[in-house]
Amino acid sequence: MTGTPIIFRRELAAYFTSPVAYLIAAAFLVFTAITFNQDLAFAITVRPVDPALIPRVLTQLLIFIAPLLTMRLLAEENREGTLELLLTAPVSDASIVIGKYLAAWVYYTFLLALTLVYQIILVNIAFPDMSHTLGAYIGIWLYGGATLAVGLVFSALTESQVLAAFLGMIALLILYFADRIGQIVANIDLGLIIFQLTLQGHFIPTFAQGVIRAEDIVYYAGLIVVMLFVSIRLVESRRWR
Amino acid sequence: MIEVENLVKRYGNMTAVKGINFRVEPGEIVGLLGPNGAGKTTTMRMLTGFMPPTEGTIQICGFDVVEDSMSVRQRVGYMPERVPVYPDMTVEGYVTFWAKLRGVRDVRARVHAVLEQFQLLDRRKQLVRFLSKGLRQRLGLAQALVHQPPVIILDEPTIGIDPRQVIEVRDAVRSLREGHAVLFSSHILSEVEQVCDRVIIINHGQIVGEGTPETLSRQLAGRQQVFVVVEGGSDARISAFLRKIPDVVHVRAMDDGFLITTKSDVDLRPTLSRLITQEGFTIVEMRAVDASLEDVFLTLTETKQP
Ligand SMILES: Nc1ncnc2c1ncn2[C@@H]1O[C@H](COP(=O)(O)OP(=O)(O)OP(=O)(O)O)[C@@H](O)[C@H]1O
Ligand SMILES: [Mg+2]
Repeated sequence: MTGTPIIFRRELAAYFTSPVAYLIAAAFLVFTAITFNQDLAFAITVRPVDPALIPRVLTQLLIFIAPLLTMRLLAEENREGTLELLLTAPVSDASIVIGKYLAAWVYYTFLLALTLVYQIILVNIAFPDMSHTLGAYIGIWLYGGATLAVGLVFSALTESQVLAAFLGMIALLILYFADRIGQIVANIDLGLIIFQLTLQGHFIPTFAQGVIRAEDIVYYAGLIVVMLFVSIRLVESRRWR
Repeated sequence: MIEVENLVKRYGNMTAVKGINFRVEPGEIVGLLGPNGAGKTTTMRMLTGFMPPTEGTIQICGFDVVEDSMSVRQRVGYMPERVPVYPDMTVEGYVTFWAKLRGVRDVRARVHAVLEQFQLLDRRKQLVRFLSKGLRQRLGLAQALVHQPPVIILDEPTIGIDPRQVIEVRDAVRSLREGHAVLFSSHILSEVEQVCDRVIIINHGQIVGEGTPETLSRQLAGRQQVFVVVEGGSDARISAFLRKIPDVVHVRAMDDGFLITTKSDVDLRPTLSRLITQEGFTIVEMRAVDASLEDVFLTLTETKQP
């Protein structure tokens, strides 16, 4: 794993110098800001503020943002040919994939940290349940990690960034809304089981209420591990083509 | 330092490299020469550990490329065909990245040294995307040498650059001879002739000739080449007729005439002129030609279809 920190640092620097990453950050902030503002307007008259508002909104926003953040990671190396140099450098395939993944997660963490501004505003004008907010933020941080890992798989799969992003979004949409299938077959038990397998099933009923459950952490961590494993295998398979 | 035995590579059911054997010793620059699609890049990709051979073994500095991949990768400097770059990095950042990834100890000093060696020092803050092709080629060399590898593999280092920069790259390659084993591919003969101690000619995945530029030229010494310009018939008819003449091994249309390679060391010119006139053609010009390495190359790679 000696290569991981070196790959990680280059990749993180690439995020902070890439115009695309700034556009994504801008979209991220504009979207969360509008939501926050609307909720605040409601909160004055209708109901108390939702301490998990931003994380809750992010569960759906990430379906689109995460693949955009990860699409470049391996697809570009593949298309530009730099992957040939990486794969002939004395570092393992796993350390390359993990270094890149961690850079994406840290960049996402940075974006998430920016949204703490809203929480600071909230603390100053209302009395939100801070432990509730904290639980939801931990949840969305893990949730984000999982969606980025899914996005990475598709960046490893294809040379085209656009295709990688597109496939990543479809995969995340399916992972998020799969429980609707349960509703279609009109079987409540089946619906519940599928719900337990979806991205939202481990967030909306628990983290969004400020509840941290071990099984939810295991779900997201497991998803990350499996997706990283698949990505590493896909990179290895490049050698055989 | 590079030992290749029985190397085979299949892509699906297409065999790109068909059992080649060769060695490169330290202090030697060897040119891998072949036309497009001969299997040069495929061979080099197996040497650098980018992809595993289908059959056969490769040893680099005594380490097996498959079994001991990491040891091999530390000892090889590789410049792929079109120098791949990260366009948004600076020249210095790019070389530093590869230096660190390959575990160079004194990164700053080494990066400075290679940038100086390839005259990139004054451009070290420039973004890679703005480099000209020649500079990019030099960046590729800097990247390949930054970790001081004993084995250097360069895939067509002079492709697509102007003649002045070709000379620069060639001089740079030549300066590497000391203590390094250099394997360098090209499909331009004059280049290989000027830089290499030894040439390996490959075609359709097989070695079709090997030796110093001089020995290869001498391979044709027993033969003789005659250039004739003939009139009185279509080119196809004339060439078909020439091919049928005994002792003629190869006929190639060249300029306005034909380059005839003959088998024997007897001067075939009297026989040729007699036969051509008997057939009703007119000889406009006829002269003996010295066999050059280029002829060896073309003769070896043109005729042998699998
Ligand atoms: N990844 C691949 N999959 C399938 N076939 C391939 C692959 N790479 C190369 N080939 C085929 O193998 C043969 C040898 O290709 P290679 O790139 O090694 O030739 P080359 O000598 O480097 O040619 P050039 O001078 O054009 O670079 C070619 O016929 C090519 O089409
Ligand atoms: Mg090639």
